[in-house]
Amino acid sequence: MRDAYVVGAAQSPFGSFPDATYRSLFETAFERALDSTSGRFDPDRIDEAFLGTLGVGGRQIGLSAPAVTEHVGLHTTPTTRVENACAAGGYAFRSAVTAVQSGRADVALAGGYEVMTDTSADQTRWWLGVSGDTEYERLSGTTFAGVYAQMANAYFHEYDTDPDALARVAVKNHANGAENPNAHLGFACSMDDATNAPPVAEPLNRYHCCPISDGASAVLVVSEDVAEEFAPVRVAGVGAASGRVGLFERDTLTSIPASAAAAERAYERAGIGPGDVDVAEVHDCFAIAELLAYEDLGFCERGEAGILLDDGRTDPDGELPVNTSGGLKSKGHPIGATGTGQLVELFEQLQGTAHVQVDSPEIGLAHNVGGSGGGATVTVLERTDVGGAR
Amino acid sequence: MRGIDAAAVSLPQYRLAGEAVEEAWGRSPHREMVVPGADEDAFTMAIAAAEQLFETSAEREAIEHVALASTTPLLDEGLFAPRLGRALGLGRNVETSEHTGSTLAGAEALSRAIDADGSALVVISDCPAGDPADGWGAGAVAFLVADDAAVGVPERAWHTDEYPGLRYRERGSEEVKSIGVTTYERDAIRECVAGAAAGIDDIERVAHAALHQPDARMPSRIAGDLPIDDEAIERGTVVDRVGDAGAATVFLGLARALGGADANDRTLVGAFGSGGAGAAFVLDGGLDTAGLADGEIPSGERISYTNALRKRGVLDEEEVAGGGARVSLPTWRESLGQRYRLRAGRCPDCETVAFPPEGACPNCGSRAAFEPYDLPNVGIVKARTVVGQGGAPPEFAAQQRRDGAYGVVVVGFEEIDATLPAQLTDCDPESVAIGDKLRAVVRRIYEQEGIARYGVKFVPTE
Repeated sequence: MRDAYVVGAAQSPFGSFPDATYRSLFETAFERALDSTSGRFDPDRIDEAFLGTLGVGGRQIGLSAPAVTEHVGLHTTPTTRVENACAAGGYAFRSAVTAVQSGRADVALAGGYEVMTDTSADQTRWWLGVSGDTEYERLSGTTFAGVYAQMANAYFHEYDTDPDALARVAVKNHANGAENPNAHLGFACSMDDATNAPPVAEPLNRYHCCPISDGASAVLVVSEDVAEEFAPVRVAGVGAASGRVGLFERDTLTSIPASAAAAERAYERAGIGPGDVDVAEVHDCFAIAELLAYEDLGFCERGEAGILLDDGRTDPDGELPVNTSGGLKSKGHPIGATGTGQLVELFEQLQGTAHVQVDSPEIGLAHNVGGSGGGATVTVLERTDVGGAR
Repeated sequence: MRGIDAAAVSLPQYRLAGEAVEEAWGRSPHREMVVPGADEDAFTMAIAAAEQLFETSAEREAIEHVALASTTPLLDEGLFAPRLGRALGLGRNVETSEHTGSTLAGAEALSRAIDADGSALVVISDCPAGDPADGWGAGAVAFLVADDAAVGVPERAWHTDEYPGLRYRERGSEEVKSIGVTTYERDAIRECVAGAAAGIDDIERVAHAALHQPDARMPSRIAGDLPIDDEAIERGTVVDRVGDAGAATVFLGLARALGGADANDRTLVGAFGSGGAGAAFVLDGGLDTAGLADGEIPSGERISYTNALRKRGVLDEEEVAGGGARVSLPTWRESLGQRYRLRAGRCPDCETVAFPPEGACPNCGSRAAFEPYDLPNVGIVKARTVVGQGGAPPEFAAQQRRDGAYGVVVVGFEEIDATLPAQLTDCDPESVAIGDKLRAVVRRIYEQEGIARYGVKFVPTE
C-alpha cells in the first residue's frame, strides 16, 4: 500500500448560522482548504470525495454529499456520504485515505458538514438522541448527555478522582478556544463558571457539554506523487473500531472500548506509542469524554486522567497538549464536520500555523467518537520535514 | 362456595390534602386524595395491584378469566385486558371481560367473575379526572375469585331505573361532570343502592358495609334507608383517605372492611352506577388484603396543590415538537416480554445472559438462539444520572414538566452479567447511588401515534 498525505485542511467557522445551508458552509470550508495548501490547489484534480454528516434536521436525508460536491463545482466527482454519527468525519477521512492508498484515487477529498441550530430545541434534542440505542437506552429517557453523565457517575465512583476535573477540562479547552477565530464558544471561562453552571444531566452541567453547532470542514488527501508538489503532512496511521451502541450493552462503563481498539490499531500502523504523540485533538463532546480519552488512548493509566490534567501536562505548554483548538467544548461540534475539523487543527499544528501553537510538534493524534462509543477513529499525522517515516 | 379468595390493593404514593384544594377552590369533598404520578394510570395501577396479588397468594398460571373494570380505560375503543394479560404473564387462553362506563363497573366485573368457571382475576382500577374541587382520587384493587373461597358470595341483587345527568363524561372528554342538582343526585343513589340491598335476604345480619361513596357522607345516607347502623359502615368507608377513585372506591372500602370481618361476619357491598343502577353483594367471612398497612389505607407522600396539578397534567398543554423515538409498534409488540417482564436470553453455549435477547452472544459471539430467561425484578444501580431540563429527549419533555427531573440508571443484577438502561420513578433521584437496590414496576414510558407504551421502570427498595 502506498502512503497518503494531507496537503490542505480547513474549516468554516463553527457556530450558529441559521441562515446558512449545509452547502454554503461546506463551500466556505472547501474554498479555505484549497487555499490552505502551499499554492492554491486545483479542484479539478479531486478524483473522489467522502463527506460525513448525520443529517440533523432531516433536511436532506438522501444524497446530501453529492449535493454538496455538485454545489462546489466538483461536477460528476464520485461522492460518498458517510454516516457514523459524530465519528462520520473520522470515517470519511479514513475512506479517503484508503482510496489513495489503494491507488484508486490520487486526490481524495474528505470532509463533513452539519446544520443543527435552525430547528426548535425539541427537534434538536430529538436528533441528539438518534445515535444511541433507540429501543432501550433512549427510552429510558436519555440523550447523550444522560449517557455520558452515567459514565461520569460510574467513573467518579470507581476512581478517586475529584469531579472538579470536569470543570478543569472546560477551563482548559475554553482558554484554547478563546484564541481560535473559528470557535463557536471562543471565550475563556473560570473554574467558577464551569462548576456552577445549570445542570444538564448530573454530574454534567452546561459547561461540561459541548454546544450544538453548525459548520463544515474539508481535508485534501493525496498520494506521494501529488504530495511532492506541496508541503505535506503524512498520514502515519488510521485506526477505526466499532463498539456496542448502547452503554448498557458494554462490559465497562468507565472506558470506551472502541476508542481503545481504534487507538491500538492506529499506533500499530504508525509504528508509534502514546508516548510519541506531541499534540492531540480528542473527542470531548462532554468533559468526562476527554478524561476517558486520556486513558483509552494510553496517555495515562486507568483512573489517572485527573492527575494528567492537574499536572498541566495536557495544557498547551505541557508535554502532551490536548485540544489546542478548543476541542468540541469550545470550538464546537457540528456533528459530521467534527472529525475532519480535528484534522484541520493537527494540520495547522504540524505546519506551525496553529492559533495556539505547540512548540514544533512532529506527531499529532486525532480521536473521533461516534455516539457514546458505537464507533471511533484514531488518526496519526506526522510532519514530513523532519525525521521521515518511522 | 364461590367468592373472593384473596385481595390486594395498590395506590399511587402521592397524596393531596383536602385543605390544599380548599385553599384554592374554597371547598374540598375529601380530607385526602391519592394522586397518580405522571407515569401512572388505570393500567399501571391495575398491574401493580394484580402483581401484589400474585406475590402473596395467587398463581398466575391458574387464571382462566380476567374481569377488568375502570371508568378510565386507556382508549375509548380498544381492549385493555390483553395488555394486562401480557404485562402479568397470563396464559393466552384466558377469557376476558371488560367493564366501563360508570362506577358500577367494579360490581359488574366481580359479578362476571363469580359467574365464570375456574380461577378468575378481577381488577378494578381507576383515576377519574375532573375539577379538583369535585374530588380527585385513584386506586386499584385486585381480587382472586375462586370456588371454595375464603369469603363466599351467597347473594347478589340489582336495582335499575333511569336517572340521567348524575355523573357523566361526554365522548372524547376526560372530565367527569354532573348537572349538580344535589337532592336529585342523593335520591337517585339512595334508591338504586338501597333498592338493590333490599333484594338481599337477612340484610339485618350485615356487620360491615362498603357503600357507594362519592363523598364520606353518602354511605350513611344510604345506610339510613337500610337496617344498617353507622358503626357498620365505618370500615367500608375510605373515600376520605383515597378520594374519588371511581369504580374502585367502594371496593377499596370492601378490602378494608373484609380485614375487620370475622369468619361469621356478613359484609355488604353496595355499588352505584350513574345512569341509574345499583348492585348489592353479600360476602361471608373475613380476609386480609395485601397492600394495606395493618389493614388500613397506606399513607403516602403529601405534595402541594401545584405539584398535584402538574402531575395530573392540568398545567401541561404545550405540544412537543419533534415526535418520539421511532420504534414501530410491530417491533415494540415483539419486545413486550422485555418491556414488561425483563425477558432476557441465556446463551446455550456459554450461559451468558443477554438483554435484549437478540443478536450474537455478547460473551462468546455464538449465534445460537438465546434460551428465554426472565431477569429478577430486583436490580442494582451500576451507574446513574439525573436528567434535568434540556437533557431529556422530546418524548420525555411532558413527563419532565409534570414530574420534574428524573433519574436514569444502568441496572445490573446479582450474579448475572446482563445490564439494562431504565428510568427511576416514585423517588427523589438525587438520593439514589451506585450499589442501591431497585425494584421493577411497570409504568407509562411514552406515547407514539396516540398509543401509550408501557414498560419497566425502577423504584429504590428503601
